[in-house]
Amino acid sequence: MQKLKTKPIEANIPTASMADIAFLLIIFFMVTTVFTVDRTNVNLPLSEKREEVPKGAAVITITIDQMMKFSGGREESFVISSAEDLISLAAAEVAKNSLHPFVVKADGEVPYRAVDEVMDRLKQAGVQVMILLTNQETVDGA
Amino acid sequence: MLNLKKRTVDSEIPSSSMADIAFLLIVFFMVTTVFSATRGLEFQVPRDDKAETIEPEEAVLIYIGADTKLTVDGDPMELDGVLAYLAPKLARNPNKPVILQTDPKAPYYAMVNVMDELQQGKERLKLVKDINVAIPTQREIEEQWGGLI
Repeated sequence: MQKLKTKPIEANIPTASMADIAFLLIIFFMVTTVFTVDRTNVNLPLSEKREEVPKGAAVITITIDQMMKFSGGREESFVISSAEDLISLAAAEVAKNSLHPFVVKADGEVPYRAVDEVMDRLKQAGVQVMILLTNQETVDGA
Repeated sequence: MLNLKKRTVDSEIPSSSMADIAFLLIVFFMVTTVFSATRGLEFQVPRDDKAETIEPEEAVLIYIGADTKLTVDGDPMELDGVLAYLAPKLARNPNKPVILQTDPKAPYYAMVNVMDELQQGKERLKLVKDINVAIPTQREIEEQWGGLI
């Protein structure tokens, strides 16, 4: 009986394209990464119409327990004790750029009084462009 | 004479750690990436030198009560009916100001809902320009008009 010679097959995982995939993922995350100045979790109100917030906009955050935070747009947001502090902080940004946009990131359930106070102080500081941050509302209202 | 045998050295860029570095970077970007909400309702605040004082009787007054119920020019109205109410007035005068007053106790989302509806007015009513919405603050209302409602 003829003895068949078995040819050993080398087991290997093809890794030639791994570097391509890895760098593709790196580029994707580099392009999409936004280093936000404020990571406070708030339940934003919903709206159908939404405009893009310009990069570097100042952010004023109002949480459900009415804690306020401020960021001029470059630094991480910090807690401010009252809306009165906003006038000087916002005025400093407006002095550099009179059209510097200010984003109001407030929880939808917060009483309007808190938002009104913030808007009033921003107006007093000479702010001209305000954006009320919202989440997308779908057509069926969800 | 001594015959030295040349040893050949393979030229090679060490790439064994490249995968480690690449995946470290991937993990870093995955952890730091925040797909944040970056859109909202924009409005321009008129500059002091260009601001005109609006007389409440010339404007349409939308009042949002503490219970989120709407009153338009003194009459209760549903949000869906606001644009239909404004349409003939804006057809006559596209610059007709709309004053949006919100009760301080009303939730913020109620104001955003009305603001959203008004900002959609240009498209829905096929207007030539955006609805002229004024959002006076409580202090401005008291200073300029001594309170509207």
